[in-house]
Amino acid sequence: MADLKAIYDAVIVGDAPKVKGLVQESVDAGVDPKAVLQKALIPAMAEVGRRMKAQEFYVPEVLIAARAMQWGLNILKPLLAGTGLEPAGRVAIGTVKSDLHDIGKNLVGMMLEGAGFEIIDLGTDVTPEKFVAAVKDKRANVIGMSALLTTTMPNMKKTIDALKEAGVREQVKVLVGGAPVTQRYADEIGADGYAPDASSAVDIAKSQLGI
Amino acid sequence: MGRTFAAVGPLSPKRRFLSRLFGGRTDRVPVGNPTSIATVELQQVTESFFPEAHLDGEKMARLAAGGHELLGYDTVMPYFSVEQEAAALGCDVDWGAPDMMPVEHDHPFQSPAEALLPGDFLERRPIRAVLDAIALLKQRYQGRIAVIGKVMGPWTLSYHTHGVQNFLIKTLLEPDTVRAFLDRLKLVTIAFGRAQLAAGADALCLADHATGDLVSPETYRDFLLPVHKELVHELGCPLILHICGDTTNRLQYLVEAGFDCFHYDSKVDARTAKGIVGDRMSLVGGVNNPETLLRGTPEDVRREVFYALDAGIEIVAPECAVPLTTPNRNLKAVAEAAQEYTDAVMRGADGR
Repeated sequence: MADLKAIYDAVIVGDAPKVKGLVQESVDAGVDPKAVLQKALIPAMAEVGRRMKAQEFYVPEVLIAARAMQWGLNILKPLLAGTGLEPAGRVAIGTVKSDLHDIGKNLVGMMLEGAGFEIIDLGTDVTPEKFVAAVKDKRANVIGMSALLTTTMPNMKKTIDALKEAGVREQVKVLVGGAPVTQRYADEIGADGYAPDASSAVDIAKSQLGI
Repeated sequence: MGRTFAAVGPLSPKRRFLSRLFGGRTDRVPVGNPTSIATVELQQVTESFFPEAHLDGEKMARLAAGGHELLGYDTVMPYFSVEQEAAALGCDVDWGAPDMMPVEHDHPFQSPAEALLPGDFLERRPIRAVLDAIALLKQRYQGRIAVIGKVMGPWTLSYHTHGVQNFLIKTLLEPDTVRAFLDRLKLVTIAFGRAQLAAGADALCLADHATGDLVSPETYRDFLLPVHKELVHELGCPLILHICGDTTNRLQYLVEAGFDCFHYDSKVDARTAKGIVGDRMSLVGGVNNPETLLRGTPEDVRREVFYALDAGIEIVAPECAVPLTTPNRNLKAVAEAAQEYTDAVMRGADGR
């Protein structure tokens, strides 16, 4: 019999091969893939986020947990397709134009994916136009922008301006983060939310979407 | 704090800076910059602009000199970015623009076996420029101003040459690979550090970003502490460690490593930090960059300088390389506040 608790535990300690094996066993034994996602993978990543906030986990621990979650998710994804299971939200995430730092952006993407969001990773050095296109063409309802440099922070505002100009600002929630970014700055540029760390990003995204 | 102001002096900026680096007496609070204070404004006034100032020793020295001559700091530090070694080791570096710091575009080392110190490393342009700049500054000031050199430590060099995420995940999955990277790349740090000392640097800043924003204190202790102990020994000079972000929970290990001084980020509370390190290691820093120096007022700067000095830190400085559009008036305000604090203490007004 499949053991969801064992999957949960293996994600938290970042044992990817074990997660892969257990998830496969579960679905082979007829466990609902939705249950594996919602009762093992998502709660495990929520716990990882909690531990990160409490400084019990640092980036390496989060990276291996996210990798383990990903290995499990890869088995579930084809099975979940067509079940009508909607993602919690569609987040187009990227590091803003002229900024090549990606670890913060990646961590936020991993935590959001672990919370059931669909991630559209636009990468680094993302122009305002690319963010706009993600809303228009890929139906993103959340934009997540990251910047590590004070010199690239202004591109967050430029992206918000571009969303307004394209007439899609009201269709999306705009979240910002990164080392030099503050709540004050987020308010100034008219972002909807600011997250000081990857696990807070999940809470902010959920509250912005009313989840 | 007042007890360290002896009725001596006036001291030269170099004596003042070095004395406090070791926790000694001084005539006034020294103002330093272990990391860059080059701004767009400073580039304009010195007519020495990025990106050329990263790769030309004369321009680099001229821009660095502005920190003392125009902003009133007791130190000059000519290595403005964090990419000189990375570029010399083969990273594809975009050298940026007057308002943009350099960044690397790739991470060429797949494994520690590739992380070799090139035979002509010290002659490669980004390295030569720093060595030339230090020699020029030494000559310019005849030993009166503290010339600070800067080197990246093996942890930061691993981020640059192997990629941050690749490297961090290996601390758990392949710890031996991480140790091998550190063992190889520390040779780069030692070679570049020694060459800067030979060129005339009075002290070195070692930037090695094992920050609390990324890794645990145990990771620092288990991987980097032994390497840092070795670097302290091998470099043998007045040595300032720089790590961005919150480092409060590893300060005890930085003391254990034997650093003379730690350049702390504003995420670390000065009072808490001084409480942990006491007199065993000096602290330099105290002024926040993105909020206070970039967007605040001279009065905001003054308030932070006074807070840090009341907490007992030895040298005031911006917390890290300043944003390039920082107004010079706020950078000058750091030096002015240090003078004002000193005057107040000398008058017995308890710093205010």
